[in-house]
Amino acid sequence: MTQIKYMLLISRQGKVRLQKWYVSLPNNEKTKIIRNLTSIVLSRKAKMCNIVEFGDHKVVYKRYASLYFVCGITQEVDNELLTLEVIHRFVETMDTYFGNVCELDIIFNFEKAYNILDDMLMCDGSLAESSKKEILNHVKTMDTMEHNDHLDRVLS
Amino acid sequence: MEKRLGLSNNGASNSNSNIRGLQIFIADLRSSQQSQEQERRIQAELSKIKQQFTSSRKKSDSSNKLAGYQRKKYVSKLAYIYITSNTTKLSDILFGLDEMVELLKSNVFSEKYMAYMTLEILYEHQEVVNRVDDLVTAQLVKDLAGSNDDTVALALNFIGVVGRLKNGLAYNDDVITEVFQIIRSPTAAEHLKKKAALSFLTLLKTNIDILTGDLQRQNHWIQRILSLLDDSQNYRLLLSVLPLIEFIARYVNPSQCVRLIPQLTQILYKCLIGGTSQLAETQFPAEYMFANVPNPWLITKLVSLLSVLIISRSEISENRAGLLQASNIDTDNLGKLRLCVSKAIELGTRDVSDPMERIVQNTILFSLINFASKLDPTEEALSNSATALCSLLISSETNIRYLALDSLVKLCAISEKTVIDSVCKKNLNLICRLLNNEKDQSILRKLVDLLYSFTNVDNVKIIVNHLLKFILTSRTISDNKMKRDISVKIAVLTEKYATDTNWFVEISLKLLSISSNATNNDDLIWERLSQIVVNNPQLHKITCEQLVDYLNNNNTSETIIATGAFLIGEYANLITEKISIGELFNLFTDKYFIVSNTTKCMILTTMIKLYKFAPEIGSAVIKFFQLELNSLDIELQTRSYEYLKIIQISNSIGNKALLDTLFSGMPSFNSRTNPLLRRLGNLPDSSVNNNSSLWLKVNKSEASLAGSPERRDESSSSVQNSTSPLSSMSSNNGIAPAPPLSRSRSRMNSNVTSPIKNNGINDSYYSRQNLSSNWREGFTRSISHRQGILYSSSLIKILYRITNPDIQQMSILQVSLTFINQTEWEMSGFNTETISYQLQDSPSYIIQNVESLSSTSIMPHKRIEQKFNITIRKPFEVEKSVIFNSHFKCGGSVQFLSLKIGIGMTSTLVNNVEQPGMTLPEYIGRWRQLREGLGNDGEYQLVVRPKKSGAQDLSSSLIQIMKRLGFQVVEQDSISNTVFASGIIHTKSTGNYGCLVKLKSAISSDGDSREIEITCRTTSAGSLSKYVVDCINYAL
Repeated sequence: MTQIKYMLLISRQGKVRLQKWYVSLPNNEKTKIIRNLTSIVLSRKAKMCNIVEFGDHKVVYKRYASLYFVCGITQEVDNELLTLEVIHRFVETMDTYFGNVCELDIIFNFEKAYNILDDMLMCDGSLAESSKKEILNHVKTMDTMEHNDHLDRVLS
Repeated sequence: MEKRLGLSNNGASNSNSNIRGLQIFIADLRSSQQSQEQERRIQAELSKIKQQFTSSRKKSDSSNKLAGYQRKKYVSKLAYIYITSNTTKLSDILFGLDEMVELLKSNVFSEKYMAYMTLEILYEHQEVVNRVDDLVTAQLVKDLAGSNDDTVALALNFIGVVGRLKNGLAYNDDVITEVFQIIRSPTAAEHLKKKAALSFLTLLKTNIDILTGDLQRQNHWIQRILSLLDDSQNYRLLLSVLPLIEFIARYVNPSQCVRLIPQLTQILYKCLIGGTSQLAETQFPAEYMFANVPNPWLITKLVSLLSVLIISRSEISENRAGLLQASNIDTDNLGKLRLCVSKAIELGTRDVSDPMERIVQNTILFSLINFASKLDPTEEALSNSATALCSLLISSETNIRYLALDSLVKLCAISEKTVIDSVCKKNLNLICRLLNNEKDQSILRKLVDLLYSFTNVDNVKIIVNHLLKFILTSRTISDNKMKRDISVKIAVLTEKYATDTNWFVEISLKLLSISSNATNNDDLIWERLSQIVVNNPQLHKITCEQLVDYLNNNNTSETIIATGAFLIGEYANLITEKISIGELFNLFTDKYFIVSNTTKCMILTTMIKLYKFAPEIGSAVIKFFQLELNSLDIELQTRSYEYLKIIQISNSIGNKALLDTLFSGMPSFNSRTNPLLRRLGNLPDSSVNNNSSLWLKVNKSEASLAGSPERRDESSSSVQNSTSPLSSMSSNNGIAPAPPLSRSRSRMNSNVTSPIKNNGINDSYYSRQNLSSNWREGFTRSISHRQGILYSSSLIKILYRITNPDIQQMSILQVSLTFINQTEWEMSGFNTETISYQLQDSPSYIIQNVESLSSTSIMPHKRIEQKFNITIRKPFEVEKSVIFNSHFKCGGSVQFLSLKIGIGMTSTLVNNVEQPGMTLPEYIGRWRQLREGLGNDGEYQLVVRPKKSGAQDLSSSLIQIMKRLGFQVVEQDSISNTVFASGIIHTKSTGNYGCLVKLKSAISSDGDSREIEITCRTTSAGSLSKYVVDCINYAL
């Protein structure tokens, strides 16, 4: 059973671009985690391993260009490498959707990024769908619907 | 310019968000450089939105109400403000909550989506939940029940994402039922079912009462959920159903899930063995391949569920109800599982160039190696796994090295000592080399953990020296915490394994001398050392001598000074040949000014102890204390004052009695557990035994001091305790091993195995079974006939056959069941489960050697077979016979059959034709004999009316029945209307019983039907005769 605690996207400048918490924590706790993790993750060198023991849990992170994808996972429960694969799937999916995704895409289309993430991960970060094609189909359907909504509005 | 995240380089960004206002707003914020400017822009936007919202509220006129699109735009801007401000602007956007709920009610999909998404992000805040939870839940239930799949999907997602946070979702019956409806609905779209499974898991995790609160609901719902697995080709659905089942197996009802093992094994086998082979027909759908490997997520989830259902030998003792032990899995499936493990090893050690592929292969490798320990691995298998892992240690990828070490540490924790030793011997050099070259903190930590698990009496010196050298020389460990952790480990290891006391003292002192500054852990180390030294008289002198050497060094660590202050204070008189008391006094005076107040206090005490040994240094000591009377520290001041007074008093009395009493020698310590063990961190339990601990000596000396045998016993039991796994150490004190453990051991020794190791709850599990309607027919038939039809319906026919596989052991029966598909469709997901009445506390019968079904599906009009053995241990009522459940899916609907097979005491009878039967006089003789021997105790009588009253010749039909049951019937003509039968009942534990039965038929008192009077006498007092009569009654 997976128990991902949170998923954060942090830019190289230390700005949080996306955050999703799968556990409930008090606000100050979250701020503390974000602050500490930002400094830890940003200061690590490229060759170091992608797993950091952080407080009572582990953190798996991976850098893609200017963005760090950071996942808090539960010790002894989650598989570290598998979490890396989840991150990779997420990036791959966004990449296909946006067509070579960049940080700006995630900023301007944050609702899409959340949409893709929600479709992939539910309930404590359990992977709900591993097929990239399925997720994209789903998101594209939503886009079409949104587009139709928009069209209806303009026509009416 | 922004950099692309860089996975592909095709196409331009298709930015297709339709909200222009939002895009402009985001662009505006990004273009403003100063944060003040940004802040102004945000505030302006906020007030504009606020104005729009309030004005729309005021105008009740519907034409002027805010259009859906506008509302969506404003809500999305609020969401962006929230995200971009790192959640600090929460209170500024709360005013928009009502509008968000309004937006949620919209029928336009994109608007509804925006509302759900924003609320999902905001729901982590309690103030948000408090304000809108009721409204949101109401809308959620409406959406769930709706017919629009896309809306339902949104609602399910919402539950799946926020259900774990603090809100009322998991306690709302409407939400729960709606979600479950989607799971069970045969018509729901697959992607909805998938989401529903995870949403349901979310709710269940938050509120386990959903299933545990209502047993009937539990049985029914779990059955439904498990049946989702039947479509074993549907990898998408499996992915989300597996975690749900795992949760149920872990926390709700494991026994209901055990029957899934063959099915799960089959799926795993198909993924791992089939999916990686080159053959076209076993090829895995490409969509579910990830980096050339079949769905790693699915594999890890399968393995994770299997690890819950299968318990390893060491876990039997724990109260794990209803789980299967590897030795009880049938050989076929066990073989498949083991094959999967070796496949994973093969995959994991194969060379691949693509980094992602390597990661995926290793994921599978690590999860299966951790699982392998559950499969009753042979030593060879274990060391193969270990070798595979060690070969990964030289990988250039840090993640792999880290995880290989992690798995090795776990593997060591479950392996036998011999395995660890052999692995250690082969790889110790490699690991030590890694220790010196590794630069990554996380990996170093694991390396140290591994070395710790490797240590035994023989290699303790080598390993400890390596670790010591590592702390002393390594430049890579910058943080002190790690240094301290290693120090603690060294201290534990030296105490645990040292056989050479001098070496122990040497290492401990070296350890203390390098610790940088006094910390909690170091305190523990020196305190522990002091305790051991005090308890072992032979150590007093050498320790003190070495301490003096350290103290003479100018830059000694404070812990050394503290240790010196305490130990030299105690035993200064032993080392006077090396150093005089006066010199010692000077030495401590020097150190006094460079240490902290706590150590100063100790030195003050040392001073007066020195004075006790050599009163001639009195004036210097007094001067020293007088100086400290002016100390700013209250504790130091008090001590100096008190010690001065003590010296004055003993001087005025003229003898040292007071001093000697106050500062008499330290008695032995008797804290048995090493407090350091608690600081080892999260190292898994190690099964490594310590053969020669110093504490053992301590306890012995302590016991011999006390001189009482009881004390000695106690100490030896504590030694036993310290040899048990580390975790139990913290629980302290030697208590005899817990009873369940010994019980399970004895069971293992007697080679009695039951398929379901079930503690206690099984009785109720048995009685909780809802037998299928018309189960009785097959039950009755199986009591009187050795073979026949157990169950028959338009869908399926079940045939049974009861045989005695071994003529020498009549108490063992073999039941063969044949399932015939009567329909025109394939039956899939076929699995079965046998439930015995009792498993614990000497059960009456046990089920063994349950063969697995040859296949989990049956083609139309084809059949499959299953066999299992029943060993009858002692008499029991036929009503408590085996229950046999089968599940299968046919034509889209899930079928469940629960049948009872009639195995009773008469099933152990055997009609031996060759043996001549008894004659009537013999029979009467025995009948009397039994009467004389047991009186009424061994007799039971019952009067019944046979159902088939039309039988012409009752006596001959009775003879038929009795013969079929296995009795021998006395051939006689002298007494009419009476049948005399005899037989031998076999049981495994309580032996064989003779049994005589008399059936007398007569016209009933009311005259219109016949009655049969059954009388049974057995060679045993008690209820056996009643059990036999019951069986006969069923057979009539």
